[in-house]
Amino acid sequence: MGEEKGGFEPKIVGFTCNWCTYAGADLAGTSRKKYPPNARLIRMMCTARFDPMFAFKALLNGADGVFISGCHPGECHYIKGNFYARRRIAAMRTILKQLGLDDRVKSYWISASEGVKFANTMKNITEEIRELGPNPMRDKIL
Amino acid sequence: MKGTELNYGDLEGVFKGLLENKVVDCLIMPRRVGNSVSYMLVRDKDKIATPESVIFAPSFGVNAANIVKGWMIAEKVGIVAKPCEIRAAIELIKLTQLNEDSVLLITVDCAGAFANEVYAANYADIGDHVDSAKIKELAGKGISIRDACAICDNRLADVGDIAIAQAGGEKAVVAGLTEKGEEALSAAGLSLEDKELDRAAEKEKIAAEAKQNLEGLPKISSEEALEEFLRDCIVCKNCRDVCPVCYCKECFFDQPLGNPAGGDLLNLAEARGAIEVPTNQLLYHLTRVYHVSTTCVACGACEDACPKDIPLTRFYPVLAKKVQEVFEYVPGKDAKEPLPFTTYEEDELEECLR
Repeated sequence: MGEEKGGFEPKIVGFTCNWCTYAGADLAGTSRKKYPPNARLIRMMCTARFDPMFAFKALLNGADGVFISGCHPGECHYIKGNFYARRRIAAMRTILKQLGLDDRVKSYWISASEGVKFANTMKNITEEIRELGPNPMRDKIL
Repeated sequence: MKGTELNYGDLEGVFKGLLENKVVDCLIMPRRVGNSVSYMLVRDKDKIATPESVIFAPSFGVNAANIVKGWMIAEKVGIVAKPCEIRAAIELIKLTQLNEDSVLLITVDCAGAFANEVYAANYADIGDHVDSAKIKELAGKGISIRDACAICDNRLADVGDIAIAQAGGEKAVVAGLTEKGEEALSAAGLSLEDKELDRAAEKEKIAAEAKQNLEGLPKISSEEALEEFLRDCIVCKNCRDVCPVCYCKECFFDQPLGNPAGGDLLNLAEARGAIEVPTNQLLYHLTRVYHVSTTCVACGACEDACPKDIPLTRFYPVLAKKVQEVFEYVPGKDAKEPLPFTTYEEDELEECLR
């Protein structure tokens, strides 16, 4: 792993919707856009499947970063799934902000045609998390 | 609003009238046991005695809404309780855990309450009812109201169907807040007149005090602080069991995934080298605070129930309040207002996602 070479390679867990961001990642790949391989994507059918517990669990188990990404509001494959998801994500992030845990959690809207945006977002989040350093919970007994 | 002013002594007749005239089939209301106050479910009107000595009593044991949680029955239950308990019942109605047509919600003014054991131990000093001046005086003697009550800005009886408000002296105003409430009072044999309960100034004063007290509570603002705060938690899940708005029939943390045992636990320890046991301490509280974030009525039952005396009011109500501010939602205020997670607006909240 990167760490052995001296640098810190963050592990990032991404919860992405099947119709937009996951397809956007596919497009980034088929368009040969380069981006850091730090994110592990978990495909959901819709961001409305996202349960904030997923993010809590990822962080507590030592993920250095977590992000949620899906269709732009108003463009959900299931018409309104991401509107509900947005409310849940807002509640989750409000709680995490109060507890000072929010800086490792991100959320984006990336559509299936935004392969370039996906690649750039992965670059940015990897850099941001790299600057934060390893998640202190990784080595704790939790 | 229609209502009437009564002497404390006449309140007994109101409750008896509700039962006698079959306005409700039973009442859940406070009763006195020695120096303590607890709830009773009463069907026989003759079992109601001197309710004026207990309904205003500043003692908090259980949240009355937790008693009726999941009661999807046809018979009509009248609940006589503090505003936080009635607001929890209204949230349960919205969560379809309580049948709106089968309850009559009777809210009693609250000035702030003591934990029930504190109340019983200091009954000689506290008495049957208190006002804010008395609470300050008692605080001077080292008898303090619960943290949840100190930060509460919703303690006037203005939710539910019927309000029983203290009107100074030994008098109370009994008023219908909804049509259902007015009809119930008429049917119970009260003659009603137009009555205005204008307490905006008092409400403002309470809100200002509550805000100051809220700001005075220690904050949990980092990961280390959170771990420190929850260090003594034994994951008994009592805070969940007493919470009126935590209602899942099968809690995730009672299932194998949320409450791993045996080989599952060994596998987890294998993956991480070592794990804390009992497991999922932080995950449990983070998940639960998210689950109740929009519906928490800040009653503080969780703190009272914690066997390890963790001051959970600093966690659940405080965090939930922030989430409720985001959605501009006051739980239990309006039975018709949809729950924040069941509705949405097309253009909103983007600033929270940055």
